[in-house]
Amino acid sequence: MTRPNLLALAAALAAITGVACSDIVSPSRTQRYDWRLVVNYDSAGLPLADTLSFHWPRTHLPVKIWVEDQFGVPDHIREGIRLWRTAFLYGEWDGVVVSDSNTADVIVRTVQPPPLTIPASVPSCVGATDVDTVTTRFQLRVPIRVYVFPSIPGAPDLDQCLRTVSAHELGHSLGLFQHSTDSTDLMYGVPRIDALSDRDVGAALNAYHFKADMVPVRP
Amino acid sequence: MRLLTTTLALAALLPTALAGQARYSASFGLTGGTKLAQDRIFQDIQITQRLAPTVTLGASLPVSPRERAGLEIALGFGKTQVKEAGFPTVDGPSYKTLGFTAGVDGPLLGPLRYRFGAGLVKYLASHEGIFRQGAPLLLTLTLGTDCHIYTAGKVGVAARLRYDYQRFSTDELRSAGFARTQDVHRVGLGLAIEYTR
Repeated sequence: MTRPNLLALAAALAAITGVACSDIVSPSRTQRYDWRLVVNYDSAGLPLADTLSFHWPRTHLPVKIWVEDQFGVPDHIREGIRLWRTAFLYGEWDGVVVSDSNTADVIVRTVQPPPLTIPASVPSCVGATDVDTVTTRFQLRVPIRVYVFPSIPGAPDLDQCLRTVSAHELGHSLGLFQHSTDSTDLMYGVPRIDALSDRDVGAALNAYHFKADMVPVRP
Repeated sequence: MRLLTTTLALAALLPTALAGQARYSASFGLTGGTKLAQDRIFQDIQITQRLAPTVTLGASLPVSPRERAGLEIALGFGKTQVKEAGFPTVDGPSYKTLGFTAGVDGPLLGPLRYRFGAGLVKYLASHEGIFRQGAPLLLTLTLGTDCHIYTAGKVGVAARLRYDYQRFSTDELRSAGFARTQDVHRVGLGLAIEYTR
């Protein structure tokens, strides 16, 4: 090898070594709200509360969602799936609408929600998600039951309302069990915006990288 | 896909364009590389790349009694993996890399020849995960060596070692708030068939 070639090779190596010393810097992700479920339980006569986190195991993905075909809710749920998918960078969550309710992890009904659920109320429609932790607190019974219901049929903003509430309830079904206190978040108790805020994304990412206390079980 | 087709068509035209002492090569090998990105959400997360089968086409012409200048086009079939402490390692999006480099090669020692070059590498991926907003086109620097292990007339066989360096990021990572770029180092090993005309 000639001397000029050696110099060229050395220069190339030096150039690569000189620039090759940086790592990408990840965002801080401090914008979030608490997503965890507070479960009251009785410990030998002493009332206690536990704060539990849940996310769908990666081996369980995509989450199978069955939707009652009324009021265009299946399309709104599909939109909601696409929306929540964008919160995740690494495929932590994914969902798919299925036709068989017997194998579904989440069942979406278009009827009036029962009491004792996590409600979301917007003028033209209501939504709710029933999170059943069985008796052990550490097992989440599937299917999770979601309700999306038009409280004012024929209202001019009904379609928008169903879209917003569907996405909001889907957020509960993926593990965001609390409401945000910020009205600009999709997971606000009375959702007004059908887009994810930075805080929604932060809460979802935190939920899926926090060690889950609960596992899904099918009775 | 259009870029891939165009590039391969151009490569096919090279034999007529570069008559004389042109040397053509085709190689097949495996390429491994360092992580594409890293993150931290409660614990460290790394987006790594699995070994990628790689096909390379090359053509070169002499520019001096000892050195040759040429082009190499490399198509790699890669797949990402997401590694996170406490979680099972899972597959991420698949991708292809189409590298196009211009370089110089010359004698190094005995049957060894060096090669260095620079060019572009285009990632081709479906719109998911870190590639949701598209896959990047990156500058790349390459170094390598060929070891000629068999020659018979105009045909030869060479073992090929290639290293390349690139600064990786994607639009999706940037919009998620990632700053700077990730240095990615890749090393490929392959077996090449060469034909000198």
